Amino acid sequence: MNSDKIHKLEKFNINIEDRRIFIRLGYGSSSGNINDQAKEMVFKAKNKLSSLLQPNAVFKILDYEATNKHPIFKDAKKVALCICTIGIGLEEASSKLIEKNKILDGFILDTLGSEAAEDVARQTDKYIAEKAKEMGLWPSKRFSPGYSIWDIQEQAYLFKILPAEDIGVRLTDSFMMVPRKSVSFRINFYDDKNKTSRSFS
Amino acid sequence: MNKTGLFEKMKMAVIEGDKHEAESLAQNAVESKMEMIEVIEKGFTPGIQKAGDLWESGEYFLPELISSAECMTSAMKILQPELIKAGVSAKTLGKVIIGTIEGDIHDIGKNLVASMLAANGFEITDLGADVKLEKFISKAQEINADYICLSSLLTTTMIGQKKIITMLKDKKLFGHIKVMVGGAPVNSQWAHDIGADGYAENAITAVTAAKKLL
Repeated sequence: MNSDKIHKLEKFNINIEDRRIFIRLGYGSSSGNINDQAKEMVFKAKNKLSSLLQPNAVFKILDYEATNKHPIFKDAKKVALCICTIGIGLEEASSKLIEKNKILDGFILDTLGSEAAEDVARQTDKYIAEKAKEMGLWPSKRFSPGYSIWDIQEQAYLFKILPAEDIGVRLTDSFMMVPRKSVSFRINFYDDKNKTSRSFS
Repeated sequence: MNKTGLFEKMKMAVIEGDKHEAESLAQNAVESKMEMIEVIEKGFTPGIQKAGDLWESGEYFLPELISSAECMTSAMKILQPELIKAGVSAKTLGKVIIGTIEGDIHDIGKNLVASMLAANGFEITDLGADVKLEKFISKAQEINADYICLSSLLTTTMIGQKKIITMLKDKKLFGHIKVMVGGAPVNSQWAHDIGADGYAENAITAVTAAKKLL
């Protein structure tokens, strides 16, 4: 694969499990506790979700030598860097609801947005992992700046490598992404299965 | 219906999260020239208090509690102008400045805390997200705030909570203004270490923590 190529994904079939939403809303894993009003509100919010999402992902696969050789990339043959988002529409809709004292509606929408962003990241991760396999390499788990030894400031490196503006994502001075419902990550590609903690069932 | 019956209906509207009913009852109370303070204190406030009790006992979950808070806020929007017209101040448990610290743009948790505190009788000034530390202090001085509530979702902005306490101490405001902290990476140990007056794990415990500091 050409290391200079920027890959863009824009077709996502967002799938959000109700169970995950209700856990985020504080109900725990027991569905028996969920009241009908909350169920209906989640159902309604899910129905209008697609009109609020603009899912997009951009990624690039670099040879290790072409990276900034951060210790987080150690032992990788190649490194995939990625930024994905669900766009700004949902956040704006959620904020408007909260301003109008429709706090629960706004909170539910925000919760759906978090899950949608996670689903976009999950699907992009899966796509990139397949690319690694096509290259005969073993993909690591995805890992985001701000975790472990990969400092949040490394966001600047991702934004230097990737045309985030093409998918409507920008970085603040404090390395936060706008829209908030965006995910950035790296996946290392190894030549040895034992170097990755990803499960290949 | 007698007053006791009306108050019970107001209480139940808030407990059940029936916003339409809460607004209708508040509007009726205004039109029938009921004593606004009595309506708030004997009608709606017991409702939000009961909703909090139900959450503490595990019967209510966050969505039910938020619905109750919305009802309370909706009713108060109708009642508050009448209090002002009558030259009566509604009892407030305290003036609260709330915001997410500079560098952090997350605000949903902070919004929930603000709405729960407002529903429970605190007067809220919400500065929003990505707020400069100096702004918390200057606004607190301007409105003579009793509390500053600081939210941080990031370890990188948590340090701002500590800085604000130092700034308050330098200005000899610490102690007069209580500082409460919260946010995903924040815990009671951190709150203790930086000398915060209160810590809340979530929007509901924020109310309890703020009331403890009264």
